[in-house]
Amino acid sequence: MATLTQPDEKYIELYGPTPNFTPAGGWKIGDPDKLVKTHCCFCGVQCGIQLKVKDNKVVGFEPWEEFPVNQGKLCPKGVMRYMQNDHPDRLIAPLVRTKDGFQTAGWHEVMRKTVKAIQDVQKKHGKDAFAFLGGASMTNEKAYLNGKFARIALQTANIDYNGRLCMVSAGAANRMAFGVDRAANPWSDIPLAKVIILAGTNLAECFPILTDYIWRARDAGAKIIVIDPRITPIGRTADLYLPVRPGRDSALANGILHVMIERGWTDEKFIAEHTHDFDQVRELVKKYTPEYTEKITGVPAKSIVAAAELWGPAESSILLHARGIEHHTKGTENVLTYINLVLATGRIGKVGSGYGTITGQGNGQGGREHGQRNNQLPGGRDINKPEHREFIAKFWGIPEPELPKQGLTACEIIDAIERGEIKGLLSISFNPLVSIPDSERTRKALEKLEFFACIDPFLSETARYADVVLAGSLQEEDEGTVTTGEGRCVRLRNSVTPPGNARVDWKIICELADRLGKGKFFNYKNAGEIFTELTQASKGGAIDYSGMTYEKIENNMGVFWPCPSPDHPGTPRLFEGGKFHHADGRAKFHAYEYRPPAEDVDADYPLFYTTGRVVSQYLSGTQTRRIGALVKQYPEPLCEIHPLLAAKLGIKDRDIVKVTSRRGEIIVPAQVVKTIRPDTVFIPYHWPGKKAANLLTNRALDPISKIPEFKVCSCRVEKVADAPAKPTAQPFPQQIR
Amino acid sequence: MSINAKALLAGLGIALATVAAIALGSSGLKHFDPALTGYAIGAIMAAFAVGYRFTVWAQRPPSRLYFKRGLELFFRRAPTPHSKPETQNQKLSALPIPYGAGTLGAALARNFVAQEFIRRRSGYRWIMHLCLSGGCTLAFAITFPLVFGWIHFESLATDAEMYRVMAFGIHLDTFSVHSAKAFLAFNALNVSGILVLVGLVMAGWRRFTDAGERATQTFSEDILPLILILAVTATGLALTVSYHFLAGRGHHLWAIVHMVSVVALLLYIPFGKFFHMFQRTCSLCVSRYKKVGDTGPRAHCRRCSTDFASAMHVTDLKLVLDQLGFDYRFSGERGEVHYQDICPACRRGLLAINQGRTLGR
Amino acid sequence: MIATATENEFFLDPSRCIGCQACVQACGECGTHRGVSMIHLEYVHRPTGVQTAPVVCMHCEDPTCAKVCPADAIKQDDNGVVLSAAKSRCVACSNCVLACPFGVPKMKAEIDLMMKCDMCYDRTSVGKKPMCATVCPSGALYYGPRDYIEKHRREAAVNEFQFGRQTVRTKVNMMTSPELTALPFDVLDFLPWEDKDFDPFALARVRDGAPDAANSAVWDEPALSQRCSGNCTCH
Repeated sequence: MATLTQPDEKYIELYGPTPNFTPAGGWKIGDPDKLVKTHCCFCGVQCGIQLKVKDNKVVGFEPWEEFPVNQGKLCPKGVMRYMQNDHPDRLIAPLVRTKDGFQTAGWHEVMRKTVKAIQDVQKKHGKDAFAFLGGASMTNEKAYLNGKFARIALQTANIDYNGRLCMVSAGAANRMAFGVDRAANPWSDIPLAKVIILAGTNLAECFPILTDYIWRARDAGAKIIVIDPRITPIGRTADLYLPVRPGRDSALANGILHVMIERGWTDEKFIAEHTHDFDQVRELVKKYTPEYTEKITGVPAKSIVAAAELWGPAESSILLHARGIEHHTKGTENVLTYINLVLATGRIGKVGSGYGTITGQGNGQGGREHGQRNNQLPGGRDINKPEHREFIAKFWGIPEPELPKQGLTACEIIDAIERGEIKGLLSISFNPLVSIPDSERTRKALEKLEFFACIDPFLSETARYADVVLAGSLQEEDEGTVTTGEGRCVRLRNSVTPPGNARVDWKIICELADRLGKGKFFNYKNAGEIFTELTQASKGGAIDYSGMTYEKIENNMGVFWPCPSPDHPGTPRLFEGGKFHHADGRAKFHAYEYRPPAEDVDADYPLFYTTGRVVSQYLSGTQTRRIGALVKQYPEPLCEIHPLLAAKLGIKDRDIVKVTSRRGEIIVPAQVVKTIRPDTVFIPYHWPGKKAANLLTNRALDPISKIPEFKVCSCRVEKVADAPAKPTAQPFPQQIR
Repeated sequence: MSINAKALLAGLGIALATVAAIALGSSGLKHFDPALTGYAIGAIMAAFAVGYRFTVWAQRPPSRLYFKRGLELFFRRAPTPHSKPETQNQKLSALPIPYGAGTLGAALARNFVAQEFIRRRSGYRWIMHLCLSGGCTLAFAITFPLVFGWIHFESLATDAEMYRVMAFGIHLDTFSVHSAKAFLAFNALNVSGILVLVGLVMAGWRRFTDAGERATQTFSEDILPLILILAVTATGLALTVSYHFLAGRGHHLWAIVHMVSVVALLLYIPFGKFFHMFQRTCSLCVSRYKKVGDTGPRAHCRRCSTDFASAMHVTDLKLVLDQLGFDYRFSGERGEVHYQDICPACRRGLLAINQGRTLGR
Repeated sequence: MIATATENEFFLDPSRCIGCQACVQACGECGTHRGVSMIHLEYVHRPTGVQTAPVVCMHCEDPTCAKVCPADAIKQDDNGVVLSAAKSRCVACSNCVLACPFGVPKMKAEIDLMMKCDMCYDRTSVGKKPMCATVCPSGALYYGPRDYIEKHRREAAVNEFQFGRQTVRTKVNMMTSPELTALPFDVLDFLPWEDKDFDPFALARVRDGAPDAANSAVWDEPALSQRCSGNCTCH
């Protein structure tokens, strides 16, 4: 029975989000006790940063210019990340649900309660009726531990993580095309490329640090092609901008390849020697003439030709994409059609030439490697492959049959809860109420749970529904490693200890395992021991960390996997010499016909609805909506709408509009801007409740990767009120009128 | 640097006025203590320098304009939102009415006495500054009249234990040397010294620990004044100590050191940080200027139409810029625009637009 | 004062700015004004585009702000850094705010004090980089040797601005086209004239931009707005 016992305001009053405007110790702190070289927690770039620590509190930061990836550069989230520490909302003791909200409790009590509930649910409904949801913002150590905990201690098949909402389609496509899931090139290759395609990546707002790489490429003469339904900051100055209609990405890539083949800009030698199945693709794209493609995609035919003219004959090139083409029911297909553009030119696995998906979450890469996915075991092994199961079962010291089979993915777990099949849930670092499409259904599902426990440092909107909240740790309160979007495993240092009675996450999980009778499998003295075990578990797998140690990572400012032996320097660039990771060493083309999104526009819902991020917020905002300076930067969601459409609908800037889809409605101020397609509206998704963009989105899943379709559904927009006299949500900076 | 005739005159005038005040106030030097001659000469020199420096400063176009406007607006009614456009001759009475007296009085009380703007900046600095300025003011208020012979104490011929206070030759008060009043009168300087010491400790602490101050402070502007005040205070207190507790030992030496430090302080006033006490008189004009400007005609940005300043301010600045030799006028086929008619926000935007334009971005 | 090629200087290239506000947030970390941000960052005109204008103090050689200050409150140090108003002198008159050609000084009315960017005096005076230019992820703000700029950037650095008849020379450099030795400054093109309201969409038309993107007139393509709103059978 996990319904809320209090109105939302009560939870907000007690547990936030409270925007924190003042650092620990105030603005004048004097000299810190120490500077800790670690990394920012707020995206897959993992910028190096030095945290200033005084009296066991993070009180400020100093740029870390020696770290090669960002060289001291930071985005506003990185600058303000230290304000999450010593936060008034921080949970400093475990909470248990009472008739009127929550009450703090001792660890013994909450542990006992949680373990009993797990055992009750599993006795009554079977092992798989208790699910585990993890996150991709946690360390590799925790990602590994989550997988092991679910399989050995919970013995459930149903473990997945919020990376399912992030880039799993890209991961699946990478494995299908290349046999491995990792960005093919280090980011240091970006400035060496002569043409760069940025497909569906609002790079300047989601990975701001990479902007510098793009500009360095441009300084060396590179041309930039940006594919996006909105003119994003990186799109503004692009050499070519392709304003694709939402949900049409695979058609656009097919259209560009059509022109390239027609003009002879393919590398037939490379295709013949290093790939399979190009002929099917060649056949398929014949009909994707620029004119045909224009009709589907809304991108002018001349721009499609221009893109091919830039990309086709380039001497070196990099294609980067992100959620824009991945968050679709054909996300995997989209990514594969873009990979076709790369493989057809043979420009991969070379200095300054290659490909990559830019992973969004703090450990978006590492989080998906070590076995916290429904179908995956450590080392990127496949839970369905007998030899992989055998290896891990043996490594863990359990009989293979006891190792659960493939379970459900994140959205499917929520669906199964809704259907009453899953009765209990333990979640860590995941806020599905904000982040999963169709929020109202998520809410109803949470209410159906017999038992729900959360491990979190803050009480997220989802955690309000929990029976037990285990006060966990923030990134700076633990140590470990994360693997960045370029495949570089970097070291996080412990800056402070968890406040009050809060505990480090992995210790909570280990104690739960112990109380579930599996303590002998979880006997770690420190995070380093988990890492050592993780690296050995990965030995021989597709994702091999076995040659890494903390010391090696620190000395080299990160190590790229695969790193199969202690003397191996790591592998910054994959596929050198055209060697791919499929058994035969070849890459695979995939011929996918364009198909429309799960929900396309129609007479009732005539507009495209798409969602995304703003630079000042991170994911579901559990941390960033608590940092005052970031809240001020973009206080609440706005609906971006083109003036042509706005005029048709009688909407003026800052008028209050209602956006409705088949699943729900949201009422927000309009931002009338010429930087979005006239047939599309956009709302960023970081906010909960009535301001959740995901009230509207469609929980239709990509059949291959099970990623939901965040980036396109249909909606209608109407004005409900005039703009308030004084704009309530003027995003800082103010405009120059 | 050429000699500024007006300033020279002003300096001389003030110095002479000081001399005259000494001569007259001490009843023709009858009550002037020759032992204090050094102080008096220092004060006269400082008066000259302050007068000179003030006049030089007040002649600078922006300062001059504020003083000029301050005087004008003192006698002009501030427009209310409902008042009709002002006709200059509207209220031309024989005697100018000091409409600005209220604003002036309030500004004096708030800025000079309560120093309330410092409180808003930092409570710590407010207390620190009140201690320093209060202590110094008290000390000078006691010592100058004594030095100049304006005030002196006489013991009654009938009772040596009773003191008579004479100011400008006029009998002010009589009290017993054992009374609280006497204690206060004779120890007022010590009280001021302690106030100043508290302020000094606070200021010194700030100068040592505040990261921002440590970065921007300079010796001559920020440290030297503290040292000078400290020297005066310490030597002054040393005099007290020597007199009360050491039976006057070393008194003579301390007296000379004290005098030297006081004269150094006096001579520093016109050239260093302390001059701000005279420059802040400008803030009195600014208070009135803002008040009148707020309710008077407004300037709207030529580009974005935002109300960004008072029309008076924009017009005056154009004048000041011309006097300073700046010419921010743009002219083209369409006409002429003064950059002062563009609001600061638009100027920032125009910088980016113009720069982007040169790069095709 | 002429800096040598290896000495650190400040280079500003607003055209690279992505408006992320890392500089705005980081500026408040400087010791001379911790908790208060001095840098300006605004949308140039959000209805038509996402261009943003980051503005730091340009540190004029002959600072207009200091000249118009009635209280002698704005001083230049030996290296040409124009400092924030001296706290003891500033009378909060706003002359500097209104006169600065770059729109830099900020009047903090609540404390009767003008404050402005002082090039992170606490950092630069001990050899560190200013906060904003250290964190800036786009290279719009760069602090480093002229060598680097000359070697790596296609744009050239100038430190002269022509505001109508007024030439202003600054310590901070502005990146511009290599053909130019001073940044030409036009105002007349961007104003409403003859009682006509300023057309917000004129910006995209008067600016020469990249063929498709900088010019948000890209949306004027008929293919986008009319022929196919998606609500049709053509795909």
